[in-house]
Amino acid sequence: MLRLIAALAVVAGSTTANAESVPITGNVSSKCSIYTSVAGVYGNPTPDALSTDPVDGGVDPVVRFDVTAADYYIAKISWPNSFASAPSLDDALAWDGEVTVSQTSDTGMAGYEAAKIEYDNVTEYDLTVAGSTWFQIESSVDYGYGKSFPGGQYSANVTAECIAS
Amino acid sequence: MKKIVTAVVAALMATTAHAHEWTPTYPKFEPSFMDGIVVTTMELFNKRSDIEYYEITVHDEGWNPVPFATTAKLMYVPYLGKESVEIYIREADCDRIEYICTTSKQLELNAPGSGVDSRICSKV
Repeated sequence: MLRLIAALAVVAGSTTANAESVPITGNVSSKCSIYTSVAGVYGNPTPDALSTDPVDGGVDPVVRFDVTAADYYIAKISWPNSFASAPSLDDALAWDGEVTVSQTSDTGMAGYEAAKIEYDNVTEYDLTVAGSTWFQIESSVDYGYGKSFPGGQYSANVTAECIAS
Repeated sequence: MKKIVTAVVAALMATTAHAHEWTPTYPKFEPSFMDGIVVTTMELFNKRSDIEYYEITVHDEGWNPVPFATTAKLMYVPYLGKESVEIYIREADCDRIEYICTTSKQLELNAPGSGVDSRICSKV
């Protein structure tokens, strides 16, 4: 009898204990950052050509996209189709380029390259995985029909866009 | 020794990365102090040492420009600076606005720079 009373007292005692909940709150907001990892340089393999291909003495620019939440952004990368600054040119320019995924921070991004959409000078990637993706951009331009580029400084810009979807 | 040199080179390479951030991703417009005008606050963080100016643009679904007002459509944001900007639009335009974007603007005297124009668009 005494044991039964003691057990009931323990049960009753435990139910009267006050519980205090301490909330921990946080907020993860989606964010996209565009980093210029490597600045591009044009090589001049022949008098009528400029190219960022390392074989031609150039450096391919590399941009990194960091997204903190999956499936919120589309990356749109455009290789240049005009010079930002150049000496006076009086003949046609033939631009070409290619954008490829060069490095990823997550194995889930392996499908990015196969799923990319290309049109005009634009390449689109759906950033379906959170993390970092490095994109390498190749750019080349030929001047006239075997015509020599005039001496001077040339610059052209890659456009890297991160658009909320 | 070779490993140390490699690590130092890697660290130096890492510090050359430049970034541009534009938040929030999904801004919401609220009534402003003026009738018929709504406002939202955006924030730009400039981690690009080669860029100090960013242009703000507002677009509809078809990427057509939508009129808006702000203190400066071409923002000066120093390296590692963070700037908040209020964007005002007509309440009547609220339904058709789709994107609020910032695009890096390079000074001609700084050309060729990094050769990268960055643009980030938030979706309304």
